[in-house]
Amino acid sequence: MSSSVDTLVCYHCGDPCKEEHLHAHGHEFCCPGCKAVYELLQESGLCDYYALSEQPGVKEKGSGEGVREDLLDLPEVRARFLEFSEGGIGRVTFRVPQMHCASCIWLLENLHRVEPAILRSRVRFPTRQLTVTFREEGLSLRGLVALLKRIGYGPDLSTDPKHEAPVGIPRSLYIQLGVAGFCFGNIMLFSFPEYLGADTSDLFLKRGFQFLSFLFSLPVLFVSSTSFFVSAWKGLRAHTINIDQPIALGIVALFARSVVDVLTEAGPGYFDSLAGLIFFLLIGRWYQAHTYRALRFDRGLDDLLPLAVLCKRGDEEVPVPVSELRPGDRILIRDQEMVPVDAMLQEGTGHVDYSFITGEPLPLRRMPGEVIRAGGRQRGGLIELEVLRGFQDSGLKRMWEEQMHGERPLMPRLIDGVARRFTVVVLLIATGAGLYWWGHDSSQVWPVVTAVLIVACPCALALSMPFTYGHAIRILSSRGLFLRDAEVVERLAHIDTVVFDKTGTLTEREAYDVRWEGKELSPYEQALVASLGRHSVHPLSQALVSALRGSVVPAVDVHEHVGRGVEGLVDGTSVRIGSSAFCGGPEQAVKNGDARVHVRINGTWRGAFAMRKRARSDMSTTVGMLRRQHEVHLLTGDVAVDATVAQAFRDPEIHIGQDPVDKTRCIRSLQAMGRRVLMAGDGLNDAGALQQSDVGVTVSESSASLAPSSDAILRGDELATLPHAMRLARRARRIVFASLGISFLYNVVGVSFAVSGHLTPLVAAILMPLSSASVVGFVTVAMLLADSRRN
Amino acid sequence: MAVIFLLIAASTLVAGVFLAAFLWAVRSGQFDDDRSPAVRMLDGLSHDQHHSTDKPTDR
Repeated sequence: MSSSVDTLVCYHCGDPCKEEHLHAHGHEFCCPGCKAVYELLQESGLCDYYALSEQPGVKEKGSGEGVREDLLDLPEVRARFLEFSEGGIGRVTFRVPQMHCASCIWLLENLHRVEPAILRSRVRFPTRQLTVTFREEGLSLRGLVALLKRIGYGPDLSTDPKHEAPVGIPRSLYIQLGVAGFCFGNIMLFSFPEYLGADTSDLFLKRGFQFLSFLFSLPVLFVSSTSFFVSAWKGLRAHTINIDQPIALGIVALFARSVVDVLTEAGPGYFDSLAGLIFFLLIGRWYQAHTYRALRFDRGLDDLLPLAVLCKRGDEEVPVPVSELRPGDRILIRDQEMVPVDAMLQEGTGHVDYSFITGEPLPLRRMPGEVIRAGGRQRGGLIELEVLRGFQDSGLKRMWEEQMHGERPLMPRLIDGVARRFTVVVLLIATGAGLYWWGHDSSQVWPVVTAVLIVACPCALALSMPFTYGHAIRILSSRGLFLRDAEVVERLAHIDTVVFDKTGTLTEREAYDVRWEGKELSPYEQALVASLGRHSVHPLSQALVSALRGSVVPAVDVHEHVGRGVEGLVDGTSVRIGSSAFCGGPEQAVKNGDARVHVRINGTWRGAFAMRKRARSDMSTTVGMLRRQHEVHLLTGDVAVDATVAQAFRDPEIHIGQDPVDKTRCIRSLQAMGRRVLMAGDGLNDAGALQQSDVGVTVSESSASLAPSSDAILRGDELATLPHAMRLARRARRIVFASLGISFLYNVVGVSFAVSGHLTPLVAAILMPLSSASVVGFVTVAMLLADSRRN
Repeated sequence: MAVIFLLIAASTLVAGVFLAAFLWAVRSGQFDDDRSPAVRMLDGLSHDQHHSTDKPTDR
């Protein structure tokens, strides 16, 4: 096949077409799966899918996560998913993490044209949810899931959608914002005549405008500012000072002073400042709430395990929920399925991949009579096991609890610390000014004290942080790092130690660099090896097949010898690939953690492929950059470290043979030494460490993957974002401090007006928006500059 | 000058209609998803095309 093949991309999914690409209907496809989806869509007249976005498809990647389709026929499993089922009509909501573009939305909302039993399907894009209403006699839940899988949008069945907390910006925030904006605008108009020195001799007109302002401030107070009062009250009950308390105090002071002013005919009141203040504060809240709602950061063990497994009861095979498995039950586990409890192998050969626990994806061979621990994933044929312990007593459950029990050390939030000092200072100034005027002119006590409370209301302070951290979250998301919330930005700024997990974090999970050791193989011989490798499910064989190019030659008489290799007749030639002993090669010690696949053609040993786990791009530069300002550690469950990874680290930084509990302990001991630790892992065998660390980052191939108890998700190909993120977080912190300085200046000016009794409504109306706008403008520009400065 | 209050009443009423429309929009979920409605709009358009052009060529 010519090299031009490499440049072709699949019409459906946009992946490069590799050796077995297909040409059909005038388009190129990378695999039969993509072609099948295309044909299905064409048949249903849904080819606009391809017109809305370029190569919108998602290649179906085999995954054994979650519920098996046949379990969806179980009443209890069905009931967990169906939101509604009555009169033959059912409604179900799935999370479909793959949806990403206009085409996806369009196709998923046109499902009724593929399957007539579907009445209606609606997408909620921010949360990647799909709600389908369907006729239950025409289509089962299982059939629906199968249909979605067929078009490449297999739903995420590992979690219970009904129990998920509602995510997204609450509607109440929009309502509060709308009401505040509406009232702010109107009150400002009513205040203009007064400010602009219009003829105010007409008392009726003047009083009328004041009364209208008062009327419009009521919804602001009772609808828009409730959240500030609630939060302030909660803080008071918990005996802590938070930022909302001085804000609530300011709001109350503004309103009380205004009402008193109007009633005593002392002035027009500060209703416009009140409405403006709350409007700006709510904009800050809205901006900060606008984070990544499609991602989940809080998966537990139950989400990672299958819901149920097939259990042999007499002659029948019935699905049984994992929690109801009893010792002595016979369970059946198929290819790619996880063994959820400790069990003894009875029939079949186990190729158990313990990557969930150790991170090592190469499967281990288990023969009947041997024990398979919970968390192992079968790769290969069907196996039958006898349950040894129920789920609650399984080693996996215990290990999970042990690694999860630690509490991460508290990190004081910057805003709370500032708010505490701020509140104390404001109260001191207010009391001082009150006492002073008490002695000189007691009629001035009320106006001065309220003026101090009004002007000291930390509006700019409350805005600078949401905007700075909101910008940081947005900037980082465009670079492949998705933070859970603004607090993570603050935690990032304190990090002084970075701990990496190896497999899946620094190396790609199942990608290998392949190097041939031995006498050169001809292209024809390579094709023979690749054609034989196709028949093996072993990950190394599959990595080898994808590394070798060449046309496919039919292989016959293929036998896979478990734990040794595979042999067969390819194009009339006898070929063996596998272990050294199996292929008659020399005894060789494993060095550098490289795995070797030996090759024997026509009875003679020809050499071996050295397979090295591929390190992620930028891995060593990232580690080098981090080392400049941080302590760096590498944790791995393996006993040997691949050479590529080892080069990037120095000797004392590498910790080998760490199981999940060890990893958590390691983080804890670093923290005991006073270090602030960032842990980057893949979230499978280091969930506890991720949770224990001050910032846990899940490194993931796709944002749709599992992220238990982590603070951030990093795209695997964007490792270099990590040092930049910490730099940006530290700069964001400095920017917040600088903006605090600016708002402090405004406060000093305002307070000096206030204590001398000169804070007129006009001064307040100018000062308040001006300080807010300049702080927001400053942090926006500063964050953009901070991001563009690379070092 | 008291006529200005008549004007204010009228303008506030109009503004109030818009506020009510906004509240209705929020309550009916129009702010929950700001991406898919834009795509949904294309739906009706393509529907007609498919019935006229795509189907015959498939069969």
